[in-house]
Amino acid sequence: MSGGGRISIFKQAHHHDPHAHSVQKPGRRLMSKVPLHFVHKRVAGGGARSVNAPLNLVAFIDFLIVTVIFLLMSFSASGEITVDKSISLPTAENVQDVIEAPMVAVDGNQVRVDGSPAGSTRAIEDLGRMQKVDELFDLLKRKRELWRSFHPNKPFPGVCILQVDEGVSALVVKSVFQTAAYAGYPNVSFMVRKRGKSAN
Amino acid sequence: MGGVDVGPTKGKRQTNLEINMIPFIDLLMVTIMFLLITAVWVSFSRMNANAQIPGPPDPTKEIDPQTPEKVLNVLVTDTEFKLVWKQGATVVSESTSERPKAAGTELRYDELATKIETEWKAQSSHQDQADKKQDQAILQVDNRLPFKEVIAVLDAIYHCKRKMVIDNEVKDFPSFNMSFSVR
Repeated sequence: MSGGGRISIFKQAHHHDPHAHSVQKPGRRLMSKVPLHFVHKRVAGGGARSVNAPLNLVAFIDFLIVTVIFLLMSFSASGEITVDKSISLPTAENVQDVIEAPMVAVDGNQVRVDGSPAGSTRAIEDLGRMQKVDELFDLLKRKRELWRSFHPNKPFPGVCILQVDEGVSALVVKSVFQTAAYAGYPNVSFMVRKRGKSAN
Repeated sequence: MGGVDVGPTKGKRQTNLEINMIPFIDLLMVTIMFLLITAVWVSFSRMNANAQIPGPPDPTKEIDPQTPEKVLNVLVTDTEFKLVWKQGATVVSESTSERPKAAGTELRYDELATKIETEWKAQSSHQDQADKKQDQAILQVDNRLPFKEVIAVLDAIYHCKRKMVIDNEVKDFPSFNMSFSVR
């Protein structure tokens, strides 16, 4: 049925029923009252090309599986090691994996143990010579005693990890290093960013 | 979608099956989302140092005279690195390596690393695979030296590696164990 034919039907209905209202009951109009032959032909597959195009999902699934495998291999169950934003770590090539140990962060202003303030680096620099950092010593000693109370039959590993900013002077590093050793942590590790191996 | 085609059917029931792949793709998507969110992209590592320096002898025990071990002292000056092997107070050998000027963001002392390796091969008494002891290196640096440079020297010291048998397996281990010299 064409558009002109539909208009003639509407005119006839008006002619027979003078009280017929121009606003009709809502409902489906397309395809039933407005036939749209060209759409019907296409949907029924009568046209030259079908509108239903098959989508090959094999490549997509392969891609997803490869991505999942890569992410699973690089997944770390031990969680993220947080490094203070104020600390810029130096890079090194000959390194070892990080282990679970108390983290001592040292930047240009202060020393922190697992996020808790444990002394000022300014004070060491102002003094100009190596010194024991008392707050750091107390905090580390308390941590060591706590570890011993939880593991009474195990030897204490005495490992702590220093996150030191690359601009901090050797004087501060040596002071913190010595303080950690006095507090019962003689195995001190320095946290670094891993650098790729050089060609030579 | 994925399907299994076993050819034309003669019976009443259709034997060609369609496997709905949508739940499978959904599962993969959710797994990727989870792994992406929990992924740790920055990897950190560590470098060992040690403060276990032999202390004074125990007065309650009889002193057993022992020959002191050779120790490599790495002295960092403004222009060069001095490598001094000492046995107690006796200087066994001494050599130097030029200290290049710091250039760029990444510091590396390749020449020092090679020199330390050569020195270790010539002087070390812990080269056997069965020997589990490491040589001691003592780093002497100026108090004003930035930590970045300390790590670069440490990296050069740990560049020297040797084979060691651990649990019946031969593994690469750093030849030196490093400590700081303090006064």
